[in-house]
Amino acid sequence: MDGRNDQSTVDVESGERRRPSAIRSGGVVTWATVDGPLGVSWEEAEGYAKRFFLWGFACLPLLWAVNCFYFWPVLVSKASPSSPPSFSRIRHYVVRSSIGFIVFAVLLTGWALTFAIGGEHLFGPVWKELVMYNLAEKLQLTGWM
Amino acid sequence: MDDRSTDSDRGTDGERSILDTLGEDIIRIVTPVSLCMLLVVLLVSSLSSTNDLSSSISSLFLSSQPSSLSSPNLLGSDSTWEEIKSALITAFSFVVVVTLLTFLLVLLVYFRCTNFLRIYMGISSLFVLSFLGGFISLLLISYFKIPIDPFTFAILLFNLSVIGVFAVYMSKFPISMNQGYLVTIGVLTAYWFTMLPEWTTWALLIAMSLYDLAAVLLPIGPLRLLVELAMSRNEEIPALVYEARPVDPQPGDRIRVWRERTDVRIDATENSTNLANVQPVRETRLVVSEEITAPLIETFPQTSDRQLGSEEEEGEGIGLSLSGAIKLGLGDFIFYSVLVGRAAMYDYMTVYACYLAIIAGLGVTLMLLAVYRQALPALPVSIMLGVVFYLLTRVLLEVFVVQCSSNLLMF
Repeated sequence: MDGRNDQSTVDVESGERRRPSAIRSGGVVTWATVDGPLGVSWEEAEGYAKRFFLWGFACLPLLWAVNCFYFWPVLVSKASPSSPPSFSRIRHYVVRSSIGFIVFAVLLTGWALTFAIGGEHLFGPVWKELVMYNLAEKLQLTGWM
Repeated sequence: MDDRSTDSDRGTDGERSILDTLGEDIIRIVTPVSLCMLLVVLLVSSLSSTNDLSSSISSLFLSSQPSSLSSPNLLGSDSTWEEIKSALITAFSFVVVVTLLTFLLVLLVYFRCTNFLRIYMGISSLFVLSFLGGFISLLLISYFKIPIDPFTFAILLFNLSVIGVFAVYMSKFPISMNQGYLVTIGVLTAYWFTMLPEWTTWALLIAMSLYDLAAVLLPIGPLRLLVELAMSRNEEIPALVYEARPVDPQPGDRIRVWRERTDVRIDATENSTNLANVQPVRETRLVVSEEITAPLIETFPQTSDRQLGSEEEEGEGIGLSLSGAIKLGLGDFIFYSVLVGRAAMYDYMTVYACYLAIIAGLGVTLMLLAVYRQALPALPVSIMLGVVFYLLTRVLLEVFVVQCSSNLLMF
């Protein structure tokens, strides 16, 4: 696309001179990834988005977060007639990754806070055995190195 | 000066002088090095002091209070000579092992066993991130009494380490995460090294900088051989190198020119004796020193680990961009941080002095790089300056500063 080629010579007002931004004013996306010209091209991006999404199911919700972060320009902008055809497919995976990550984050934070704040009131004496610093001491996890 | 450069910027955006990008280039390599050093200093000072938290923080700013866990006298005891001897033996054997392993690496690359290397490096980086990272986070959790449960801890550790392996292994990954994880690996390994006894650390630093000098500049040096091998074959060699973002990216720039590190075999079964201490030490060092040369992109002169290289337009570029980014091997990060971490174990004054020395050494190396335009060792100048400054500070400066402070004269 012409826009993409010219982007490197356009001065962006964000104070980073000569660095092409991923999103031009108007919300139209030129680069698929947050790395801009150093990231993947539109064609490869779909493969990466799909792979990040699928691998996230292997108990790796952080990979979903990486997916959202990496394809942030795709996530925040809307589909327009000038965007590449793979845009909607990438967005499909990225949106689902973000939903998955948010669900996971809420669950994990809830559990962690319950454990930390509830403490012994909630769990009883088993809290003292479960908490990590006591467990590490009991299992001698810090002594082996 | 600034006005002139902005005018030229606003003018034709074709012509840019070196001055426009030089400052930013340097900042982009000095920042992660400083960050790595800062994190190691924080880890060292929080985990190894017996003072409580508030006095540690206050001593950070006062800088005239030796920590209560300062190292024993450098002079005047018989056991010191024993320590020095064992330190020299350890350092020497370490360098020998590293040399052998680097030659082994050269052989492996020569016989094109790159796949084996990459798999091995992936496994070893996973090992380092999960075990060493888990170990250090357990230390932090125990020290700060963070009420985390094992389930959350396991999930977080698993996720962070696997993502870390992806970040340094895969070519297409967010650059900021990749750089962040490289710094993290540097911090973890450097902290691990500061757990060595004092004399051993200093002997090791000096020995490694001499080794670096020899391995890169001598014609038979293994690192130089590796670079030449890569250049003659136009091949990628797995290595761990921190690459700064190019200041002026063009479409089609390839920033990731390396893959990963060669080997880490932390032999967890060996510990506790002096000789066996050599083993885990050297095997983690494998990681570090074997992050040998960055692979070549299409005949551009590449950097080796612990060398500084700049992708200037030296060679005949076959379609890849001249990003002009500076690359610094992860071993350099690690050894700079080890020096500063060890200085932190004495007092914060030595930390400041050594930090300035290392940054000055880095600047000198960058200048030499601009002059010679070939792969250069980044360790010798900085480490030598750092060691000299440490000794001078500890022997001369501290007395002076303490006297002045206690008489309310200065500082």
